[in-house]
Amino acid sequence: MGGNIYFDLTRAFNRLEPTVALASGQAVVHYRVAIMSKDGDWVIRENADACERVLDVLAQHGAAYRPGAPLDPRWLSGGWSSHFEFSDDRGRRIRCDFFSRPPRVAAAAIERLFTTSNGPFLVIDLESLIRMKHTLRAKDYAVIGALAAQLAPEREIRFTTDPERVMHLAPVHGRGVDRPAVQAAIAGDRDAVIIALAREQDARQQRDRRRLDAYAAAAGPYLTAFAHLSPEHRRLPEGHRRALALADRLLPPTVAHPEPADDDAE
Amino acid sequence: MTMLSDDDANLSELSDEEAALAWDLWFDLAQSTNDADPPYTHGVLLTACLGDAAAAPEKWCDNAPPSDP
Repeated sequence: MGGNIYFDLTRAFNRLEPTVALASGQAVVHYRVAIMSKDGDWVIRENADACERVLDVLAQHGAAYRPGAPLDPRWLSGGWSSHFEFSDDRGRRIRCDFFSRPPRVAAAAIERLFTTSNGPFLVIDLESLIRMKHTLRAKDYAVIGALAAQLAPEREIRFTTDPERVMHLAPVHGRGVDRPAVQAAIAGDRDAVIIALAREQDARQQRDRRRLDAYAAAAGPYLTAFAHLSPEHRRLPEGHRRALALADRLLPPTVAHPEPADDDAE
Repeated sequence: MTMLSDDDANLSELSDEEAALAWDLWFDLAQSTNDADPPYTHGVLLTACLGDAAAAPEKWCDNAPPSDP
């Protein structure tokens, strides 16, 4: 009998204390919006103990680094992400991704996540998940609409991508909401709602692309060197030491952003 | 307007155990497309181009967003 291995890993990472919170695609699975995502993504606490705990669990599974930053607070605090892979006991490919500064999510929301946790199965909250989903990928915006439907109406109106919901919610809950689509709905202009939602999505997609392109440019020399590491040299625990050594020389801990990474955060 | 399919929407009616089993079955099937997946499916390296010509197995430089979340 099977289950979701990424849910099981979440419990393993958090066995001693709150260390990670399940995010992205597997969080969407948790909220029962869709069965999706072959990877597991976690927000990790930004400290050395959390990194060590996660690396220990991954090493027990025989995991190896995929291209990405070392799992270390120096790079995590600069917004970098770390990536690992192993095969489970059924030969399935398990990919694990970690970051401590999810884009567009306020630091206070992350801190609250870990300090108010109850038990080892920790999942990112709905609003933070929605902010994370403001990516360059078009399909994330349908998921956002489904996630937002689980919020209270006065919060849903701030996030939904569904024009019908915007039209429905705006008359009662739209006052003071600074979204052009909501203002258009209050005015009863459906066409303007559609156009405003499309423009909003496009702006978010372009903003995310500019953010990712900044990281891609900064990662070039490091990734080139990393690509020459053999699979055995990428395997934990040795792989961590090698990734750290490479990053010390070639990967800048911080990246200049074209705009603030959390500019949506409230 | 329904944003996702009826099958997706019905996920909310499954028990925790049923939902876990459904995902597990889907994950088994999804392994068949592993070889077609790009090296990056998430994180800040989503648009990165890895390595050089000597690193062909992991080279992925079309700069297009992948389909897998």
